[in-house]
This record gives sequence, C-alpha cells and structure tokens, in this order.
Amino acid sequence: MSYTLRGRLESRVAAATLTLVLAVALAAPQRTWWPVELAALMTVVGLVLDAEVYHRLLPYQPGWVALPLGALELALVVTAARALGIAAPLGPALALFGAGWLVAQLLGHAALPRLRLSYAADGGELGRAGPALAVGVLVVFACSGGVAWAQRPPTVHLAAGVHQGPLVIDRSERLVGETGAVVRGGIVIRSDDVTVRNVTVLGGDDGIDVTGANGVVLDGVTISGARLDGIHVRDSSVTIRDCAVDSLGNRWAQGIDISFSMARAPSTVEGCSVVGGREGIVVHTTHAMLLRNRVSRTSSYGISLTEMSMGGIASNDVHGAQGVAIYCGDNSECEIDDNVVTGTEPGADWNGYGILVHYNSHATVRGNRLVSSPGGIKALANAQIETKRE
Amino acid sequence: MTERVAIVGGGLGGLVAYATLRHLGVDDVTVFGTDIDPAAVWRERAAAIRQRFMRSESDGHVAPASFPGLAVRAALRSGSPGPLLRSVADRYHPPVEDFLAHVGEVRERTAWDDALVRARVARVVAVDDGFDLDGRGVFRHVLIAPGHPGLARPDELERDPRAVHAYEPHEYAEDVEVVGAGMAAATEWLNALDAGSTVTSVRRREPERRPLNLPRTLFSRRGLVGFHRAPRAERIGLLRRYSAPSYPPGRQWDEPLERAADEGRFRVAPELNGAGQVICATGFKRGFRHDPLLARLVGEHELETAEDWIVLAPDSTVPTLTDPRRTLALAGVPAQWAFPAADTLAGMKYAARRFAAKVVACPTR
Repeated sequence: MSYTLRGRLESRVAAATLTLVLAVALAAPQRTWWPVELAALMTVVGLVLDAEVYHRLLPYQPGWVALPLGALELALVVTAARALGIAAPLGPALALFGAGWLVAQLLGHAALPRLRLSYAADGGELGRAGPALAVGVLVVFACSGGVAWAQRPPTVHLAAGVHQGPLVIDRSERLVGETGAVVRGGIVIRSDDVTVRNVTVLGGDDGIDVTGANGVVLDGVTISGARLDGIHVRDSSVTIRDCAVDSLGNRWAQGIDISFSMARAPSTVEGCSVVGGREGIVVHTTHAMLLRNRVSRTSSYGISLTEMSMGGIASNDVHGAQGVAIYCGDNSECEIDDNVVTGTEPGADWNGYGILVHYNSHATVRGNRLVSSPGGIKALANAQIETKRE
Repeated sequence: MTERVAIVGGGLGGLVAYATLRHLGVDDVTVFGTDIDPAAVWRERAAAIRQRFMRSESDGHVAPASFPGLAVRAALRSGSPGPLLRSVADRYHPPVEDFLAHVGEVRERTAWDDALVRARVARVVAVDDGFDLDGRGVFRHVLIAPGHPGLARPDELERDPRAVHAYEPHEYAEDVEVVGAGMAAATEWLNALDAGSTVTSVRRREPERRPLNLPRTLFSRRGLVGFHRAPRAERIGLLRRYSAPSYPPGRQWDEPLERAADEGRFRVAPELNGAGQVICATGFKRGFRHDPLLARLVGEHELETAEDWIVLAPDSTVPTLTDPRRTLALAGVPAQWAFPAADTLAGMKYAARRFAAKVVACPTR
C-alpha cells in the first residue's frame, strides 16, 4: 500500500485508539499506569517514525514489511521505556505491544478496507473520521494523565524537629522530611506506593517496618538505635536508596532485612551505608539486587543472600565482618561481582571468609577484590562457585 | 420521470460499479449492456492468449471492498496460508479460473442479471436533472464504462491474411512472428514456444519490465495528488509513458525464452520477415475518438479534451456535466485522466467508489 503522510498518521491513530482502550482496561482494575504510559509511548514512537522515517523511505509498503518495522518499533519502545523509567513488567508489556501491533495489522489490512471502501486508494486516510479519532485519542490520553495526576500519592512534609512515633503510614503517600526532621520510635508502613525521603529515625522496635506493600521507596533515610532491625521488610517490594543504618551496640540486630518476598517484584538496596549489628544486609527468600553499599563491623555476615533467594551482590564495599563478608547460602542463586572485601575476621561460626557459598547454592563470581580475608572464596556443603571471566 | 442511477457498459467495469452501489445500499440501478455475462469479453481475450494467472495481485477482484481479496478466499478454501503469505509479499497472482468463478459469485449475489437491460446505448445527452440515454430513460446519475474501443493492429497488417490479433481466438503456425512487447506479447511468445513454434519477436525497442503497468504509488492518493496537479502537457506525457508496453520481471518469463533462443527457436527482429503467421500483440486502440459514444458525447457537449483523453475531475466525473443534483462519470480506460491505471480492476473500483459516493450524497435521492 502507498500511504500518504496523513494516511499513515491517521491509520496509526486509529490503531492506537484500540490499543489505548486495551491499556485502560488493563490499568483501571490494577490502578497501575504503565499500560497507559506504554500505549502513549508506542503511539508517539510510531507517529515519529511515520513522519520522519517511513513516509520518506517507503513510498510503497508491501505487507511483509510490517514485521521488520514492528521489530524496530519494539526495540525503540523498550529503549525509550527504560530511559523514561516506565515500570512495565516485561511479559505483560510485550503482550500489550504485540496486541497493539496485531490490532494495527488487522485494522490496516481487513477492518478499515471494509469500513471505508476507498481506504487503500486514499493512501490510508480516514476522511472526516481521521481528525475526530486524533482528538479522541488526545482526549483519552489527557484524561488518563489527569486521572494519574489526581491519584498521585499526597505529599506530607515533615517539619524539622523530633516527632514522636511510631509513625504508621497506611495509605499511599510521600513523606518528605525537611532538614532535621526526626521520628522517634520508628515508622510502620502498611500501604502500597509509599515514599519516605530524607527522614531520620531513632529507636523503635524496627527503625522502619514494611509489611505487605508494593512500590515502597525509602530514599535518604537515616536510622539508628533500633532494638531489632534497622529496616525490616516482609512480603514487600522495596527500593532503598542512599540510606544510613547504624546498629552499633546491638550485636543481634540486622541492618537491613528483606525476607519472604519472593512473590513480590524484586527489591533493591543501593548506595546505603550500614554499620554494626549481626548481619548488615540480609535477604531471605527474596529476589533482590544489592548494589554499591558500604557495610562494616558486623558480628556475623556482612551481606547475606540466603534461603532460596535470587539476586546480585555487586560493587559493594564490605569491611571488618566477623565470620563472613559476603554469604550466598541455603539453595540460593547469586551473582557476586566487583565487590571489595577487606579485614574479614574469624567469627564464632565461620573462619573469616571473604565470600562463602554454602549448602546447595550456586554463585557466579567475577571481579571481586579480597584483602585480609583469611578464608578467601569458598564453596561448602554441595555448593558451587562458577568463576566468570573478566 | 427521472430515474435514479444507470451504468452504461455491461463488462467488468460495469459489474464493479454495480456491486459497489449495491454494497452501499443503492438498489435502483439499471445497467445497459449487450451480454448477460459481465466477463464475456474479458473471458474471450484471456482464453485467446491462454492466460492462466492474473497480472494483478490480491486486490484484483470485483468485490466492492478490498478485504477479503482473492488471496484470503483461496487460503480459506484450501486451508493453507500460502496464498496469504504470497499476497503480503506481492507475489500472489490468482488463477484465471478463480477470478472468473469469483465474478460469477458477485454476479449472482448482486442480482446483476435482474438489473441488466440488454441494449447498446449509443448516445448520452444531458437534460434537466439528468441524462437521456438514447431515449431509454432519463437518469440522474450515469456512469459510462465502455471498455476498450477496439483492438489495435498495425496499418500494414490490417488486410494481411496471415495476421491475427492476440486477443482473437487462434492456434499457432510452425513459424510465428509476434508484434509487440507488452504482457500479451510475452504471453504469446511462451504460448507459441509451448506449441512447438519457432518465434520471432518483432519489436523496435526493448520491453520494460515492471511488476504492474504503473508505479505502485499511482494506485493511491500518494502518487495521484502529484499527477492531478501536473500541468496538462506533463500529464499527457506521463500517460503516454505509462502506456508503454511492459511485462513483469521473473524467471518464469526469462528462462523459457533463453532456452528457446539457445535452441534457435526464439529471436528478436525489428521488422516482419515473412513468417506464416503474424500475431498482433499490439493491445487496444487508444483515445476517446475511437469510441462512438464518447466521441459523440464530447462533440455534442463540447467537453474539454487533452489529445486522446477526456479531461475529468480527480473523482472521474465530467466536470461540466456534474453538479450536486446529477453526475456523469467515466470508468475504465477512458477515465485515465483521473486515474492512470483506470483500465485495471483497481482503477474500475476507484471510479466506482467515487461515483457511488456522489450518488449516496445526492440530496435528491
């Protein structure tokens, strides 16, 4: 078919309309916006390609060309989605893209030629329906954007000074601390889509307790003096960035403990500084990425991924652990890359291992630097270490 | 009393227009033609050149909507995706018998036989609110689809007893000369070689090799906008260039010819050399002046012309005889001023759809 520019754009918008309906149908019950964001991105990428590339390079487009063009658009949409931080799960996102592509093919080759007899001879133009469709799509996108904006979690500003806790957050919100904002007695999070930023927490059973929640972000929090864990996560998906956890003086505490969350989306701990306690960062039965953290002076494990966990431990700095600096244990799958381990000492249970892979676990190991860690890198109890090339 | 819609011409162009009108809910249509079978002329010509496959692709059919085309129908019938896959690669050429069977289906489904009045309309005259068709009634909207005005033969072969036109029934002599370089000529080279003849291709220039007669962009608005905007002289030049004979590229054409050339059974010559049979694969007469109905229409209504062509609006209507209350449109080869590929099935649909749109939009319907 030989599309005119207007025909390409109108046909694209017509297909986008149905994709958008599908996206809204996906988004509405889950109260998640990635389908609408992805549909918008697909439409924008398609329109730009239509105007800037396809119209110039393809005066005539045989049917089979839809396949390579679809692959190109998929690659661009995936790249753009990552760049824009659209949090779309891969499988459903691919399904939505595939459905959109299929809808476009069925529309262009079957439905529109039947509905509008001169569709092909008009170069894909839709007559008066074209602008109406474009307006309709714009309205739906605008309304979706408006609804998304209206449903954004409210922001609560925590003034400087000490606030008596425990502070319980049981709705979606953003808690942003002004400089010097302190909560004494801990923060308890029981809702999805909660962000806590720039807040210092003193004391409490756990410094921050997250249970049964998705999409929780802890950004720039500082925690000290908790009786149990600094950050305690159960059955949740969290992103923890640039935190500081001080468990000094509490030999049995965990700095950050994320456990029993395998059914949730992966969690991330990145750029945190954890000092003291029994274990610095520990993950049980969870999919997690532990990146660029600094862990020091723990009484047993520095960083531990255990009990059928999966994940990566990369670019961390672990100093002065007593027993094991980095541990992958109990049927876990770990990728341990580019960490620096120094000054590991023999502890009560273990003999000062830099990296220990234990009990049916499997770890790939690459680019780690161990200094003054007498146990070195070791696999025990039917565990396996695979050393990757640099 | 003014009736509503008439189609002058009972061939494939007339059937396409009739089916399109019926599809859009216009039921009171009268068709004037001389043969009850809309494919009669086409069938005879296709049989004469032993054509087995259509040159056109999936959209080369007479149904009003492009979808489903013959490829989809063949895939459904055979349970194989092969026709669809060839169609998306522009490689599906429906067998002639499939096409003719499809014409029969459309003819039956649309009750074509009931709408046909077996008569040759020799004169169309504009009157108040319509057109008088040779005294057979006054119709508000008229589409003229007269087909090709006759077979073209070189003057020197007009009375030569050895000569037969490719589109007339014929067998092959031992020594055959084929005049021409288009699709019919290429088909006749292979036919005659298959029949065991020695073949001379008489031509003065190398034939063009194109998948279709015209660039594909000219089948849609993408190419048509530029064509419609072109100055008259340029437009005439384009139409002449597009009329140059051509046949598709492909091994199915080249290999038999190369093999026959190696065996000394096929050669190219610029002049006739006295063979026992001369096949004129020279196509059709060109220009409205060869069609008595059109020539009279132009003369009596002083219609604007450009050399061989009647000047039409982009929607295939005659501008001076079309207004919101009445329509005179052309379809088929005389509509090339609006759509260069007017003599193809796609071209017939182009004219038919625009004519039907005028009828549907007419405030006096």
